[in-house]
Amino acid sequence: MDRRDRPALRDPRWARGAIFVGGIGFLVLFVVLPLATVAVEAFAKGFELYLHALNDPDTISAIQMTLTVAAIAVPLNCIFGVAAAWAFGKFEFRGKTILLSLIDLPFSVSPVIAGMVFLLVFGLQGWFGGWLREHHIKIVFALPGLVLATIFVTLPFVARELIPLMQEQGTEEEEAARMLGAGGFRIFWSITLPNIKWALLYGVLLCNARAMGEFGAVSVVSGHIRGLTNTLPLQVDILYNEYNMVAAFATASLLAGLALITLAAKSFLEWRYADQLALTRR
Amino acid sequence: MTIEVRNVCKSFGAYQALDNVSLTVADGELMALLGPSGSGKTTLLRIIAGLDQPDSGEVLIHGQDLSKQAVRDRRVGFVFQHYSLFKNMSVFENVAFGLRVRPRQQRPSDAEIKRRVDELLGLVQLDPFAARYPAQLSGGQRQRVALARALAIEPKVLLLDEPFGALDARVRKELRRWVRKLHKEINVTSVFVTHDQEEALELADRIAIMNLGEIEQVATPSEAYDRPATQFVSEFLGFANRLTCHVENGIARFGDFSLPTEFDNYAGDAVAYVRPHEIGLNRANGHDIARATIDSIVALGPTARVDLAYGEQRLEVLVDRERLTELGLVVGDPCAITITRAHVFRGT
Repeated sequence: MDRRDRPALRDPRWARGAIFVGGIGFLVLFVVLPLATVAVEAFAKGFELYLHALNDPDTISAIQMTLTVAAIAVPLNCIFGVAAAWAFGKFEFRGKTILLSLIDLPFSVSPVIAGMVFLLVFGLQGWFGGWLREHHIKIVFALPGLVLATIFVTLPFVARELIPLMQEQGTEEEEAARMLGAGGFRIFWSITLPNIKWALLYGVLLCNARAMGEFGAVSVVSGHIRGLTNTLPLQVDILYNEYNMVAAFATASLLAGLALITLAAKSFLEWRYADQLALTRR
Repeated sequence: MTIEVRNVCKSFGAYQALDNVSLTVADGELMALLGPSGSGKTTLLRIIAGLDQPDSGEVLIHGQDLSKQAVRDRRVGFVFQHYSLFKNMSVFENVAFGLRVRPRQQRPSDAEIKRRVDELLGLVQLDPFAARYPAQLSGGQRQRVALARALAIEPKVLLLDEPFGALDARVRKELRRWVRKLHKEINVTSVFVTHDQEEALELADRIAIMNLGEIEQVATPSEAYDRPATQFVSEFLGFANRLTCHVENGIARFGDFSLPTEFDNYAGDAVAYVRPHEIGLNRANGHDIARATIDSIVALGPTARVDLAYGEQRLEVLVDRERLTELGLVVGDPCAITITRAHVFRGT
């Protein structure tokens, strides 16, 4: 039934109007306006300058860096997330609740602190610093450090998405497969994975968006070496601090574009995923 | 194939789910595990299946201890309460799964798999639904797919957990008859769990009645109904009037009644159970042993349920409605009652 058919749920006209205007206004002010600013500023000096700004070798290197970091961190998190969700969703063991809240830790800890932790552990003055230098392994101020920091920050995305789903699905289908003679890998591949595939994709997308956009943790471990260890968000920051507005916003528009693509993919998946869920729950 | 459960114990933390349970299921038999929820019947079934391990005791199937075998080699068919069909596979693939996952040497060819699955789908009357997905089937159809899937591995024994629990009453009745017929056809040793006594009485060759982790009685349906072994069975199986009485010299006294017992050397409290049809009803004529008053009469098809007040005691009696009309008894009338049979147990 429509809300309007229920007098008890009908609010006065002024209240409805105020809430509507307030809500939309808020959205425009805090989401649409900043995004629009990015686009406007990026193209403020014309399309040619925009392209020119993006053609900078340091920016191109930053793009490559961001994509490389995401390409390593996201699959690793995907594997970890599925493994964790499998363990939490399908088995009972001691300390489960504590581990579950530990998975959320990266959400509650400031990314800067995460970065500092990696400096402390792997940095020159850190616990393993001496050993690492002796063996000529570079972790901080290099790609491995960026990947580590990104993995830490994006750790919960896939696992968080899958755990409730797997818990809800229970283990009966797996048990049925086992009774029919299927081995562990076969059960995972033919039964468990298909049941979580949409949620998994969704989690991977969110994880990817965050991995590409991460600033705080990455900023600490990257060392801001231009053309070497800068990712897109760091590059934007540097350009902005140098008052290079067009280049800064042009680069920012790339990041925003990536975010928008992710958002579109997410919406598409949500639509598909809802369909699937409805079918499996009926 | 016989199933032998020997001295099985299982506890979950402090909760004793099974307490030294032993049970033998004969070859080709259809056995029901009947009991209220929490009686341990599903735990026992899962242990027979090998899905759970007993704390102590063993399960032998055809004389072999299966706990030493991997689940996949046991060839035990299991039908889950909520069917647990594979949502992402068609009906055909669900049934074929058990054949497809076999090791390469034992795996039938695709043509052979197709033939076998088609045959099974025919057996459960689902041939037209092979391409459908579980979500597109009704409850009864899903149940039959689950059954076909379990039968595909040519199980040595078939185990069913509350097989009709999730179905509506009419479908349940139909499916029950059908399963009974199917069992006669394929004659595989089967055990099913149920809390519905009507289901157990109608389907099973024998019933194991469980309570609080123990088996109270194993008997054919009529035996369990006519000769309950314990108080619990008397109360759980059908309805019985519960009369507290006192035993002396082998006779249980309840109000004006003297009921024979098998206790020769027992004196003390006892409980007698009397089925509603084991109480006789007559017009009061002044020479009666016992007299009661009619509280209410409820017509139930050809029979009527008459509620009586006998002193403080309420009694439920079933009589033919024709007989009631003959006697001309109505609510509020006094009437004479007799007890034709009672089962007396020591204790209170």
